[in-house]
Amino acid sequence: MPLIAGIDIGNATTEVALARVEGRDVSFLSSALAPTSGIKGTLQNVAGLRRALGLALERAGFARDDFRKVDRIRLNKAAPVIGDVAMETVTETIITESTMIGHNPSTPGGIGVGVGVTTTFERLKEVRSGDAVVPVIPASVDYEHAAAGVADAMNRGVNVAAIICQADDGVLIANRLPRPVPIVDEVSSVDRVPLGMRCCVEVAPPGRVVELLANPYDIATIFDLSPEETRQIVPVARALVGNRSAVVIRTPLGEVKERRIPAGELYILGPSGKRIVNVEEGAEAIMDMVKACQPVENIFGQPGTNVGGMMERVRKTMSNLTDIALSDIYIRDLLAVDTLVPQKVVGGVAGEFSLESGVALAVMVKTEELPMQKLAKAVEADLGVTVEIGGVEADMAIRGALTTPGTKCPVAILDLGAGSSDASFMRQDGTVELIHLAGAGNMVNTIIMSELGIDDFDLAESIKRYPLCKVESVFHIRQEDGTVRFFDKPLDPEVFGRVALIHENDMLQPIRLNVTLEQVRNIRRKAKQEVFVTNAVRALEQVAPAHNVRLIDYVVLVGGSAVDFEVPTMITERLSRWGVVAGKGNIRGKEGPRNAVATGLVLSATGA
Amino acid sequence: MQLSQELIQKVIAEVLAEVMNGAPAPSSAPEAEVSGIVCTEKGKAARGTDPREVVVAVTPAFGTTFTKTIVDVPHAEVLRQIFAGIEEEGLRVRVIRVYHTADVAFMAHQAAKLSGSGIGIGVLSRGTSIIHQKDLNPLSNLELFPQSPLLDPLTFRAIGKNAAKYAKGEQPTPVPTKNDPMARPRYQGLAALLHNKEARFIDRNKAPMEISVTFEG
Repeated sequence: MPLIAGIDIGNATTEVALARVEGRDVSFLSSALAPTSGIKGTLQNVAGLRRALGLALERAGFARDDFRKVDRIRLNKAAPVIGDVAMETVTETIITESTMIGHNPSTPGGIGVGVGVTTTFERLKEVRSGDAVVPVIPASVDYEHAAAGVADAMNRGVNVAAIICQADDGVLIANRLPRPVPIVDEVSSVDRVPLGMRCCVEVAPPGRVVELLANPYDIATIFDLSPEETRQIVPVARALVGNRSAVVIRTPLGEVKERRIPAGELYILGPSGKRIVNVEEGAEAIMDMVKACQPVENIFGQPGTNVGGMMERVRKTMSNLTDIALSDIYIRDLLAVDTLVPQKVVGGVAGEFSLESGVALAVMVKTEELPMQKLAKAVEADLGVTVEIGGVEADMAIRGALTTPGTKCPVAILDLGAGSSDASFMRQDGTVELIHLAGAGNMVNTIIMSELGIDDFDLAESIKRYPLCKVESVFHIRQEDGTVRFFDKPLDPEVFGRVALIHENDMLQPIRLNVTLEQVRNIRRKAKQEVFVTNAVRALEQVAPAHNVRLIDYVVLVGGSAVDFEVPTMITERLSRWGVVAGKGNIRGKEGPRNAVATGLVLSATGA
Repeated sequence: MQLSQELIQKVIAEVLAEVMNGAPAPSSAPEAEVSGIVCTEKGKAARGTDPREVVVAVTPAFGTTFTKTIVDVPHAEVLRQIFAGIEEEGLRVRVIRVYHTADVAFMAHQAAKLSGSGIGIGVLSRGTSIIHQKDLNPLSNLELFPQSPLLDPLTFRAIGKNAAKYAKGEQPTPVPTKNDPMARPRYQGLAALLHNKEARFIDRNKAPMEISVTFEG
């Protein structure tokens, strides 16, 4: 009986199904997966393919490099699809002439509100009694010395209303004063605080946020502002919302403004001609426009802008990899998601961060199918095995998915990968509708990275994949659903007190960020919702009969991202509203949602 | 610190003199108060119940025989900075003197076991420090600062601060530590001598004593 290997080269993994085929009888021997080397559909894939096939051979009882045992290799006829993901920050907060300090030192001193004129610590001795001042204390002054100086002034009758200091000394100074005043500390660029200006400092009690300085009318009351000036102060108040401590200083020229960065326009070519949408308008507007232009023929970015650069980069990468002329590469789909990006406030004096809004974009490029032939030839030369290119990927995915117990035609498949989300629908008569959409696992990583402000792709991947816990003691953790688990052996001190990820075999990976479990969980779930659920609905709408998802009975989820611990349930929940049976596939009743295309490739070899 | 020939000779001479004379090392802390701190023993250190405390363990020679670290940071400043770091986070500090060992990990573990929060800090006279937790193995730790020549006052402040944060159940970023590959060849001999001297004051049968620390000047 000939030995046939079905090999599916995906964006992130290469999957192999190995089987003996005789006529219509197929007996599967083994399956394996390995990371894809290089970009899907290019000659670089051979290394990953060898590795995956070697593993499958080994599992079937052959030598790992005994490739000649295989009689035929069937490759998927995937149009190379590459996704690129980029972040565009569309707003930026700029402070001119430092009128405010709104940051969250973890331990400010004192509680309450103080209003006075800013003055240096050295000049504090010369202040007349009765004057309301706010001394500004640099880190070079020790906390004992600072507290003594301020206490002296207080005893002389000077009204020290509040204190701004550079070092992390707020509580230390507060504990040494005869009467408590609000103290904002850890103001890194203390030398840029304007002196001799009227200033208001507010420190909220623990667990609460500033109320006075987050309210424009209270700021107007403190600084005697006119209605016009009050209007100008609104961005200040807005920027201070949610902080535990804040300082507002009135300078003649200072202002805070939110600038919108020109992110550029997108030109979407569809059957109805070219439509233009500005990235600044946000994800919803962009997605509406993409929907209005279905089927999208090509997408361009405005030249000279960030978006334009991104679109060209994608085209160029694709062109280099496939030797196809730049002009023959078409961007066929785009997914936009609104995100928040922590950005350093321009002109801030305490290293303040502000959550600016941004748009994450994933695009998908489709080219002609020529490169697959080249790849097939390269594999043939390398392994010395006959290579043939099987049917269309989506077709194969359906064949594979139908090996899931409990499925029948007509059926829709959602193939959720790393780079793209594909959907296909097979009618009773065997005809297939299919679509490739941009945005999948990698986009979730990008959103997690930008919202948490990290640039570690592997950490983002782990956050996406594993559930969270908080290590509460050396012997117990609290998991994200609130349950507690105990351990017999002390946990690694590295994870003590931290938010951590629970890998396989209870290995804990600490997240070295100053974040709570809930924050990470919300970001993770929101990113998955906005990428996978949005794409699932979008994809099914396009392949469903009459574009009506209700007319689909069964949806089978396959692909690497369907292995995720919560994505399938999110999609199942969303689709259950339409009465659609949706769930993770179980290829050949044992592979789970993986190996669908590879299995389909083998099955199609039977000629059935 | 200038590693002068005289200094090394002085230390060697001192150690040798003691070895030659066979004079038993004093088992309790010498009473000389020259480091700017006054330490008064208040009796046997008890197990604390206050979850807001961090316990700092020092050796018998700390602030007495020795008055500064290997790089001349006065012991008064070391403790003042550690205390300040803990106070800034809103916690309290208790100090014990550990007699039965001069191994910084075991000292800190002893401190952690006596601490109401379960967090302790161990400090050797030459500056080597460690943050410990009561449930960990003694030779494990939360944060270790092994290269004493690289510890400056700001590092000690950060050590106090992080210990307090662990006690509060927060997730501090580990104190950034410097690493100087030359620290070992330059200071190892001196560190060994200092440790030898430090270990002379060990009394294996004496329980940890609680001490009160007041700063002078």
